[in-house]
Amino acid sequence: MRIVVFVKQVPAVSELPWDAKTGQLRREAAEGMMDPAAKRALEAALRLKDAHGAQVIVISMGPPSAEETLREAVAMGADRGFLLCDPRLAGADTLATSYTLARAVGALSPDFDLILLGCHSADSETGQVGPHLAEELGLPAAAYVEKMALKGRKLTVERVSDGWLETLEMDLPALLTVTARAFRPRPVPMTGLEQAFGQGEVFILSAADLRADPEHVGWAGSAGRIIKIYAPAAQKKGELIQGTPKACVRELMARFGDRLGGLLAKDLSGEEQA
Amino acid sequence: MEFNPCMKHKVVRGAAREFAEGELGPIAAEIDHQARFPWEAIEKMGALGYFGLQAPRRMGGAGLDSISYAITIEEIARVSAGVALCVTVHNSVCLYPLLNYGDKEQIARLAEDLITGRRIGAFCLTEANAGSDAGAVETTATAVEDGYLINGTKIFVTNGGVCGLAHIFAKTDPPDPRSAAVLMVEKERPGFSVGEIEDLSGMRANPVSSLFLEDCLVPRENMLGKPGQGLKIGLAALDVGRLGVAAQALGIAQAALEAGTRYAKERQQFNKPIASFQTIQNYLADMATQTDAARLLLYRACAQKDAGKPFATEASMAKLYCSAAAREVANLAVQIHGGCGYSREYDVERYYRDAKVTEIYEGTSEVQRMVIARGVLSRPS
Repeated sequence: MRIVVFVKQVPAVSELPWDAKTGQLRREAAEGMMDPAAKRALEAALRLKDAHGAQVIVISMGPPSAEETLREAVAMGADRGFLLCDPRLAGADTLATSYTLARAVGALSPDFDLILLGCHSADSETGQVGPHLAEELGLPAAAYVEKMALKGRKLTVERVSDGWLETLEMDLPALLTVTARAFRPRPVPMTGLEQAFGQGEVFILSAADLRADPEHVGWAGSAGRIIKIYAPAAQKKGELIQGTPKACVRELMARFGDRLGGLLAKDLSGEEQA
Repeated sequence: MEFNPCMKHKVVRGAAREFAEGELGPIAAEIDHQARFPWEAIEKMGALGYFGLQAPRRMGGAGLDSISYAITIEEIARVSAGVALCVTVHNSVCLYPLLNYGDKEQIARLAEDLITGRRIGAFCLTEANAGSDAGAVETTATAVEDGYLINGTKIFVTNGGVCGLAHIFAKTDPPDPRSAAVLMVEKERPGFSVGEIEDLSGMRANPVSSLFLEDCLVPRENMLGKPGQGLKIGLAALDVGRLGVAAQALGIAQAALEAGTRYAKERQQFNKPIASFQTIQNYLADMATQTDAARLLLYRACAQKDAGKPFATEASMAKLYCSAAAREVANLAVQIHGGCGYSREYDVERYYRDAKVTEIYEGTSEVQRMVIARGVLSRPS
């Protein structure tokens, strides 16, 4: 079985430094880390590898520093890493990114069985790249996956959808995006680090290596333009609900309804009636 | 000259930090307050390679260089100095001498259990009448037909309460200091017993204890090196150990700097954060400068070792400075916290207690100055 995992390096800070002029992240201003959801996608792949045996390759598009993330992935148990690193790929929106990643799959692992990504990255949070990549590759896809089981060539997955859980069955090859809640990643073993920095573990590729159309990658290939970017004003407002416990619960239910139940995975309105 | 960490060292730091914050962070205060050794975390660390950080990869170790080693200990200590103490003593003064002075048979027999963390290592030099004066040990190893019969009491043994293998310094021909030898004693040997766990001020997650050896018979194959090589092996191990203790002190300083900075921004007095007052800014400036200087001294000493150059003087400088920095930075962090800093509810109180002992063990600051002065005076003028 061949699994491709896409990982992204994101800034390891809670407040993202933006370049106000270009509307892009100033990645050089902060230390990088593997995107939390992507790390869980990697963990999902490594669990399949542990259970069924698989070759796991990890691909990232980003600046030279993103190599750290690939080395970390190899230390965790991935077989090989590829960094798509080229100034021509910079400034890509989700359209250009999906196109580039599809080219990478074609060039590096055309006979894949499964592609895994995080549902959305902690920095730009669009959630578009996974589904868009599935379109590019003509694959069945499920987003926001939290559980998966493989039997033969069939994958059973559980995905979150607006407070509901859906169980789906799909044939391989397929593409999944996983949430940042499931598949708690294993710690990086200290014993894996030296090997991860050995020769032949991580390779750097350019746009030309992917035979990508220069018109479709990077800033040039992006359909979207960020017109304005600003930090949202903090608007936390506390409100005290007072009264008897029963009255408070009624008030909460009236305001939030089954969204509360969704959080607890319980039908609260039914409980109240009972 | 390169002052920026290389990619590998960044990834090593990230890996150690994530583990320390995730697994040790939630229990760090509790294991200190309850003086509990966290076996549950230690077992996980064993599986991840923390007990064979510099052991060769062919033996199941992590095979890391000394800067990576220092970064790892620093990151563990930043969260729990007591756990970092366990890891560094095990790696630097128990496993390191076995791998460097042990013969093939000894390494084959004993290294794997240490590298995997199945046995925790200890180093036992200090006695009631010996410590800084290492040649004064009174424990004896009498040659008998089946090996050596060891008698004596070791005190303040780090990892004492949980150790599976202890390096015992003893004299084969007392009181001649030249007859000092190192005997490796497994905990299950008859005549080996553990005393009460010490009720110490800091590093309380580490079960520091006395060890008693009463007619404890060990085979000749358990002697590390030859009779008379004990001091040489011990001092070489301590050179490496000092890098680890310096890293541990650095981790405490870093944690105290972060806690002090955070609190200074949060705490409001006179309607503004105390960080806006110049006195507090001066404290933070001194704390940051000392922490940075400590880090550079330590990494320089590690780089010397990795380059195969003599590093004893540099290791002592690092240990001397890092431990003093930890004590001072923790002290200022407590001061910034005011009354809260004196409360056990705040981590800085623990950092303050933990920092002090780094100036005492694995060579007091006074001994470090002796070593440094010896290095300075022996340089050609």
